[in-house]
Amino acid sequence: MTTSIMLKLAAGVAIGAVLPFLTDDYTQYIVNICLVYIVSAVGLNLVLGYAGQLSFAHSAFMGIGAYATGVLMVKVGMAFLPALILGGVIAALVGLVVGLPAVRVRGLYLALVTIALMYAVSWVLLHWTDVTFGANGLNVPTPSVFGFTLATEHDRYLVVFPIAVAMVALAGMIVTSKLGRAFVMVRDIELAAACNGLNVMLVKAQAFAISAFFAGIAGGLFAVCVGFLVPHGFGLVSMITQFAMVLLGGLGSITGAIIGAVFISLLPELLRNAQWAQEIAYGVLMILVIVFMPNGIVGLLRQRGLLARTAMINPLTDKLPKTPSPSPAVPTSGVFFATAANRAGR
Amino acid sequence: MTNSILSLSGVSVSFGGLTAVSGVSLDIEQGEIFGVIGPNGAGKSTLFNAICGLIRLSDGSVRFQASDITSLPPRKRMELGIQRTFQSVQLVKSMSVLENILLGLHRTISVNPFRGIGGGASRDAVVHAREIAALVGVADVADTVVDRLSYREQRLTEIGRALASGPRLLLLDEPAAGLSEVEIRDLNALISGIRARLGMTVLLVEHVMPLVMGLCDRVAVLETGRLLTLGRPKEVASDERVITAYLGASGA
Repeated sequence: MTTSIMLKLAAGVAIGAVLPFLTDDYTQYIVNICLVYIVSAVGLNLVLGYAGQLSFAHSAFMGIGAYATGVLMVKVGMAFLPALILGGVIAALVGLVVGLPAVRVRGLYLALVTIALMYAVSWVLLHWTDVTFGANGLNVPTPSVFGFTLATEHDRYLVVFPIAVAMVALAGMIVTSKLGRAFVMVRDIELAAACNGLNVMLVKAQAFAISAFFAGIAGGLFAVCVGFLVPHGFGLVSMITQFAMVLLGGLGSITGAIIGAVFISLLPELLRNAQWAQEIAYGVLMILVIVFMPNGIVGLLRQRGLLARTAMINPLTDKLPKTPSPSPAVPTSGVFFATAANRAGR
Repeated sequence: MTNSILSLSGVSVSFGGLTAVSGVSLDIEQGEIFGVIGPNGAGKSTLFNAICGLIRLSDGSVRFQASDITSLPPRKRMELGIQRTFQSVQLVKSMSVLENILLGLHRTISVNPFRGIGGGASRDAVVHAREIAALVGVADVADTVVDRLSYREQRLTEIGRALASGPRLLLLDEPAAGLSEVEIRDLNALISGIRARLGMTVLLVEHVMPLVMGLCDRVAVLETGRLLTLGRPKEVASDERVITAYLGASGA
């Protein structure tokens, strides 16, 4: 079933390869921003949709990644790519350090703790003027990669697009891996997860750190796509926008996060001639989604049978008889049971 | 005594001022099917949580195969061989039966990170999970998402997940709740089969008396957190104090 992820990725790459030939400068900028939010929303979906942790700190992690990338380029003179990766790592480390104590509380309390973190980060970005330039904003230099200067929107796309694809593929690997199964266990059956060998707190903290890494990378890409950073860009409004992306697309689905990120990023552009209607449209849309599509666009597609569930394992159905002997026979071939019986003292 | 797999001595659990379990001492013998019964609120589920490590004891100790596990977290106890099911079925509803059974192998499962994207479970693990599905009787729905299954199938799937890791001690919390009479008879056969074939010790909390009486070697009766009596099913069933606890003082 993991071939379905491969197919989706291939389709995405195909679209992405054609897109820059159809766009002018401005449209290409919008495409780049869409990609940034895809990376971020896919990351938010890991902690929110898969691990089920109500985190409001995602925009703060994005801010940390954006500023870390920008500051490393401006103050340290680091090249874009290493600065980007380091920015992601810094965001992940902050995510882990904050995540470990934060996950001891759950639900609304976790939401409150993470909102506090978000404001703390905003405050630091605003007041640590020696490094961040505070309210004056941080001018991010034109990035260059391997000596090639990314001067135009189309140039930047050549870097942003492969990174976005790699991040989405990474998310796909995570959710179908052992770690992804651990996330889902912690989300749906926390007590049973503990009884099945998981360190629940550690899994939650890992979810925080990994999603913070995605946010950090998205932030770094944002920094070079937009070229100018201000602290309030990573506050509550950005957070709610990203929540909307994940909820609209469908919690616990990478495809959903991508659909949601694209849709919400394009919404202001679609309503550009009716700016007064933007916020109303936003609100109405959210209400409609919650009432009619509680599981998001992907949930609706699945319900209609238009989108298959992604299996967490290879069920080996083609290689094994579907129904083994009708009476439960003593399993003798299984390596696990042999050891189990030995351990039980037989 | 020498052959006991699990020993509780003076186990007490209190929540604030309320004492849910108070000074319970028990020895579960290797290979026996042991029932815990008692009226609602007697502390049966709390006792289970104390054994698998989901709540902390306020007093007493728990020994498993001669090692003290009183302060171990659930995951360590699972590694030693204690596994359980839950009164309210704890399954990932969006996963298939097979995937849920594999969750029971989560710690030990080997994954192949190069199979497609992500790490699928190894072939051995999947084959094993299919065998477990057949053993508990859900082979025909092994690839169905749990959400679409009957309550009986969900219960069996959860037992399958608990069996997957090959525990030495299996705790079943009200496995017969919500099942029909015929289904309970099948469950009886399944549990005795688990003991006979896999050599597991089974500890079950249950309200359904025919199951307890027909299946258990010994039965402990809890009332308001205390151990009221302990013995063979027949002895317990005819014990005046047990009848009083269940039916009220003037009942019998």
